[in-house]
Amino acid sequence: MTDIRLFSNNDDDEVVRGLRSLYAAPAGNAYWNELEARIMARVADVELGWWTELDRWVRPALAAAAVLLVAAGIAMYRARQSEADIAADQMLSAPPVPAATAIRPALQDDREARIRYLFGGR
Amino acid sequence: MTSTADARADERALVIAAQRGNTDAFARLVRAHQRRAYAVCRAIVLTHEDAEDAVQEGFLHAFKALDRFLPDQPFGAWLYRIMANASLDLVRRRKVRDADELPEAVPMPFRDPGESDELRRRLNEALLQLTDRQRSVIVLHDVEGFTHGEIGEMLGIPEGTARSDLHHARAALRRILKDVRSDL
Repeated sequence: MTDIRLFSNNDDDEVVRGLRSLYAAPAGNAYWNELEARIMARVADVELGWWTELDRWVRPALAAAAVLLVAAGIAMYRARQSEADIAADQMLSAPPVPAATAIRPALQDDREARIRYLFGGR
Repeated sequence: MTSTADARADERALVIAAQRGNTDAFARLVRAHQRRAYAVCRAIVLTHEDAEDAVQEGFLHAFKALDRFLPDQPFGAWLYRIMANASLDLVRRRKVRDADELPEAVPMPFRDPGESDELRRRLNEALLQLTDRQRSVIVLHDVEGFTHGEIGEMLGIPEGTARSDLHHARAALRRILKDVRSDL
């Protein structure tokens, strides 16, 4: 009987039918419920591993580290920038006259005071 | 159309929940896909027991790789690729092991007592004469209804190769089964 089915004129259909019966998945919900339970038991084993918890924190930790690094970089850049600004301000706010001319009036004043003192002037 | 879209939206929600660590959501994905996953694995490995192992390995890989999956992609296609890879790995491991050990009896597939033993025996013998890939392709296409493109993606071969494998597998099965008939 089997041979008649398998080797009929429409061989392809028979082969496909045979293949379907050969490769049929187990029937019955009990089998699939049990397989699901086995799969989930293995998943639970994986989930309980400390490395999973570590792995879960790796990305946020890397992101936080990157943010801190950028913030530190910006802070350092701003600190240097303000130092440079202060230095530039100090240079720009220095007396515009040359040093020699800046000293000379003081010396002149002193000299005139001495002359006034020697000659009894006020 | 709407029910398909709803089903896809539901699945997407489950995937996102599972990605956030909800194992109940992952269990629902397992429940929804395990039969098809088994069929993919069963098409590639030789025995029911190996298919069970490959399904479990595949779901475990999928769980571990879930954060790399983009929820807008079809989950089934991604999962079945993982299943196919798990099955191919298992076949490779078996070959290495079998090469180191004494030859074992030819493994028989899962048996349904309601089916004819003779049909099974003849067909199984014929299938064992095909290459691993030809056998996988003909089962995935003719039994499970996957397209050539889907099969190519799962097995990591071009669509045209899957098509020609199917053609050659059918021709070989026809020839082998006819030879058996002439011997009777």
